[in-house]
Amino acid sequence: MSSTESELPESLPDFRARARAWLASTPPPEVPPDPDTRFTVLRRWQRTLFEAGWAGLAWSREAGGGGLTHAHHLVFVEELVRARAPQPIGLIGLEVVGPSIDRYGTDRQRRELLPRLLSGDDIWCQGFSEPEAGSDLASLRTRAVADGDDYLVSGQKIWTSWAHQAQWCALLVRTDTAVRKQAGISYLLVDMTSPGITTRPIRQMTGDQEFCEVFLDEVRVPRQNLLGAENEGWAIATHTLGSERGAATLRRRVELEVALDDAVDELGARGSLDGRARSAIGRAHIAMRVLDAQTRQTTARLLANTGPTPLDSVDKLVLNDVEQTVFAEIAGLLGPLRAVPGSRPAGLRSERWAHDHLYSRAASIYGGSAQIQRTIVAERLLGLPRG
Amino acid sequence: MAEHDDLASTVHDYLTRSYDCDRRRTLLGDGPGGDGTGSGWDAGLAAELAELGWYSVAVAECRGGIGATPADLGPLFEQYGRHLVIGPLLENSLLPALVEQIGPDPAGTPPALVDPGITDDRAAEIGSVSRTGRELTGTVAAARFAAQANVLVVLAGAAVCLVDPAAPGVRVEPIGSADPGTAFARVRLDAASADLVVTDGDLVGRIRAWSRILLACELDGLARGALERTVEHVGRREQFGRPIGGFQAVQHLAADMAARSTGLHNLCLATLADADGASTARLDLLASTVKAHAAQAAVGVCEDAIQLHGGMGFTTETDVSWYYRRALALRGWYGDEIELRHRIGAALLDPEGRM
Repeated sequence: MSSTESELPESLPDFRARARAWLASTPPPEVPPDPDTRFTVLRRWQRTLFEAGWAGLAWSREAGGGGLTHAHHLVFVEELVRARAPQPIGLIGLEVVGPSIDRYGTDRQRRELLPRLLSGDDIWCQGFSEPEAGSDLASLRTRAVADGDDYLVSGQKIWTSWAHQAQWCALLVRTDTAVRKQAGISYLLVDMTSPGITTRPIRQMTGDQEFCEVFLDEVRVPRQNLLGAENEGWAIATHTLGSERGAATLRRRVELEVALDDAVDELGARGSLDGRARSAIGRAHIAMRVLDAQTRQTTARLLANTGPTPLDSVDKLVLNDVEQTVFAEIAGLLGPLRAVPGSRPAGLRSERWAHDHLYSRAASIYGGSAQIQRTIVAERLLGLPRG
Repeated sequence: MAEHDDLASTVHDYLTRSYDCDRRRTLLGDGPGGDGTGSGWDAGLAAELAELGWYSVAVAECRGGIGATPADLGPLFEQYGRHLVIGPLLENSLLPALVEQIGPDPAGTPPALVDPGITDDRAAEIGSVSRTGRELTGTVAAARFAAQANVLVVLAGAAVCLVDPAAPGVRVEPIGSADPGTAFARVRLDAASADLVVTDGDLVGRIRAWSRILLACELDGLARGALERTVEHVGRREQFGRPIGGFQAVQHLAADMAARSTGLHNLCLATLADADGASTARLDLLASTVKAHAAQAAVGVCEDAIQLHGGMGFTTETDVSWYYRRALALRGWYGDEIELRHRIGAALLDPEGRM
């Protein structure tokens, strides 16, 4: 704790009341379906949050943040979701890349990159996964070869959210092929306007288009854009992926809670009290309580800074299951009108629930697939022999 | 929380020592000459637990108890499940805690809960009891430990009625039991007179809600026990020259069991934390939710435990078959997941129009 923080941080209830009051006085934007307009609207929303002091709440003051605790950040996330407000567009920067730069970056990197990241002037994407390096991320092949003051980078990335609209990319590259695969990886900060970068959006089954493929062909990246030391990128990547997971689980819990509340309201407004609706809502409620109980443990670990544990994988399995149960139950009530956009079977908005149900299938794939999590639980939590 | 853990580990240590495999199996009904299902009742065990004071944990101090809350019983019930303890645990622990007029019995002789409301969906098969003043008439087709009880706690409408099993008009007929931990009896009341009628509107609801919560904790313990046995087994059992726990197909099933068991355990903890001081409607929702989940999760974990034990899991010679039969018996008592989903959905979709 630095000497400037002699005063106690605002109490959580006071902070929550202040967040709630601000959100009530600042109407959140409607999120338009068109991807380009959506990007613009959500970027403006990040600017609004930033100017009111809500961006980077748990970041240090020196880095331009709020100097508050993780607990404050989690409270704000909750209130944001409950106010039916969208997330700021630069979430990857705010929660994954930014904290890494803050922790591992040079003074110059922090000074030049962090303020623009917070304000949303720079949107960041995360170039980690590759077509041949998904669950086995450490086997990534994108190469960076030193060339004078630069690296020359060539390869291909995939599942890179917002790459086609981002200004910067946090890129994992191989800088040494002669060593154990984790030991030859470096973390580069890449300007997306550099010559040699092309992006191709991938349309998802939900109709959304936030993922991209990124192709890198002899892209010149200054060596001063290396984050941390050469060949030490793996530790940085795993550190940030780990810290992202807890916050993401907690955010998703509140989002699911809000979704279920909305479904109950829509069904109730239509008086749809048949046995099938009762059963579906009952099952979804049970699932939500399971997640609520599970995330109490997650929160406790997050606030105690216990670091990664195999219990994170249990959290992930529980979250997958709950998310898929909740949306399958709600969407199941749409019946045949699921496929008819604009209809309101039993009062439910068919497009929203069909969309959210499809999206729930990704839950057991992204951030470490359910199969990977099960192996971690079996070997590291239950202590079963390695296969 | 720390007190919960202390008490639970005391109970765990004691049961590990004194309720070992031989004794457990004998009481469950797998002893020499046993036919595979015990009577669910052992007067010696009931007296032993009374002597230890475990039944009195949630009974007020002024009535000879320890003065903790019903929520403090949760961690004990988890241990009871984990160790496959038989007998009137719920009756002896909960009823004296909630019904002032029932004292903890020093010999462990239980009160019996005679409740036609143990199920919504099968109400017609269970029966009903009607009340006029102190006079009770009706039948309850299955009540736990009614033949062993010194008092019948009959729930009739919104009233809790204490009835002497030897009173005129009361017939208690022991019936068979496929639950290795429970004895059942049919109770017929023909203008039987209750010694006492409590019409405090909340009491019936609180008895049912806490029964659900504690049964859920017991199911949590059953799931945990089945998981522990399974992890031990697959780490030891070798096929194809190595422990089967090294095969991914086995690992993933075991990991799923662990995730479900942990999820259930955390839900029990959260429910116990939220239940003290909750309003009746809120308590009912919390209780239905945890019982519904416990019914589904514990049965599922036990089924996978049997699967991973192979042929041995299907026999009475491994604990997992006992965990499973116990879980199946508790699953439907005060509602399984199917029944309770409706109850929960009704409460959420139509909070006013219910009950």
